[in-house]
Amino acid sequence: MTLLWLYLLALLDGLLCGGRVSMGRCALIKKRAYYARALVRGWLGAQLISTIALVALLLVNRFSPNQRDLVEDLEDAAERMLWVFVPYAVAVVGSLALRMIPSTDLRSATSVFGLGPFTAIRPLVMVAGVGYGIWGSQLVETRALGLFILGLMLSLEFFLNRSAGARQRREIREVV
Amino acid sequence: MQHDPYTLARVPVRKWDVLEVFAKFGNRKAIRAVKALPERDGLLDEKEIDRLLVRTHWEMQRLGEEFYHGPRVYELLRAVIDAIRRSGFKGELKVVDVGCGIGYDMRWLAARTPLANEGVELTGFDLNSALINEANRLSKAERLPCQFQHGDAFSLDHSGHIFLSTGVLHHFRGQELREFLERHERPETQAFLHFDFQPWLLAPYGSWFFHFLRMRTAVARHDGVLSAARAHSAGTLTEEARHAAPGFASGIYGAKIWNTPAPRVFHTLLGIRRPLIEELRKELGRRVGRLGELR
Repeated sequence: MTLLWLYLLALLDGLLCGGRVSMGRCALIKKRAYYARALVRGWLGAQLISTIALVALLLVNRFSPNQRDLVEDLEDAAERMLWVFVPYAVAVVGSLALRMIPSTDLRSATSVFGLGPFTAIRPLVMVAGVGYGIWGSQLVETRALGLFILGLMLSLEFFLNRSAGARQRREIREVV
Repeated sequence: MQHDPYTLARVPVRKWDVLEVFAKFGNRKAIRAVKALPERDGLLDEKEIDRLLVRTHWEMQRLGEEFYHGPRVYELLRAVIDAIRRSGFKGELKVVDVGCGIGYDMRWLAARTPLANEGVELTGFDLNSALINEANRLSKAERLPCQFQHGDAFSLDHSGHIFLSTGVLHHFRGQELREFLERHERPETQAFLHFDFQPWLLAPYGSWFFHFLRMRTAVARHDGVLSAARAHSAGTLTEEARHAAPGFASGIYGAKIWNTPAPRVFHTLLGIRRPLIEELRKELGRRVGRLGELR
């Protein structure tokens, strides 16, 4: 169950990363379809890293000499990670929800005091969450997996950003 | 980027000259950004500079979207238009965006408001042809009822009942600002609305933070912070406007959030013909509290 929560949070993070890297790269006014495609790309990226993480987990489990304790240790680490990731996700989703209120000042304030700072601290939250999760773990396999997954999470936005940047460069070359 | 003031033709720019200007100010960030610009035989590569400008303006539009600039412009423009209509003006109202860049304001108004169907003509002007081409491309792509022209918005070849701009005023200082405002004194012009950064203690830091987070090009990051630092105070803007365009009552709109001491990122220099003031107040309704002293 804990791992499922982590998976769902990873998908949410992927969606938001997809949206974020697409912003400022399309100057149309009506761009619902553009953002929808961007969100799908982010979601697919998160699916991909989740799959890689799952394969890594299964491989480690297959070859670990501590198979019996590993699942329990991983569950404990994942539970600790949720203590960091869930409040962060709630704060981000809460900021987005506030933007439903039709007040330009309130909506802008969510950018200034919510989404902007939350974007800035995302890598730190990732490191803190995984760090807190593996800090108390008993097995080196759990720690290695945690660090591997951290690398995957941090690389998601980097690769989505590169890909969106390449698409933007192509488009600008066509129009200028 | 430089243009011939008469023909508006692009003038080649030597990279070294630009570097020298920033070296005088000791602006190392700007020097780094300029050094990274592509050049050909010592001259800045025009095509690459145009591409960079377009890219930068796409990013700037994102900030406009995030801070709901379109609805903010519409809120005040709507009240001004209705005030003009109530005063008996029947014909087509021409709204001119001065220094429109890729035309976000006009395109947003054309796409999201009924103005174009109410006899309001939306036109943007810019001295940069690459940005105007992009504005026209974007408006055609979405079939928007607005147009963009390369040239001087205040040229006598065009007329404008309402002039507006976003992030333009801070580019002018002293006599240049006065001359810019003087140019609104045309018989047909009824009002002007100039949106620009509002200077206050934390504005440069906030601007730095947001441009660092949201902008991807070094030039955009640098210019955004500089713009906030160069922004004119409400006192300077109203004083200059009252002096340079005495045919209008001038004041500041929307300086504070919900009438608290908290400042908005942008404030608006509003100028309006005196007979329209009372109508404008009525049209603003409960938002009239956002209107500063008009005189």
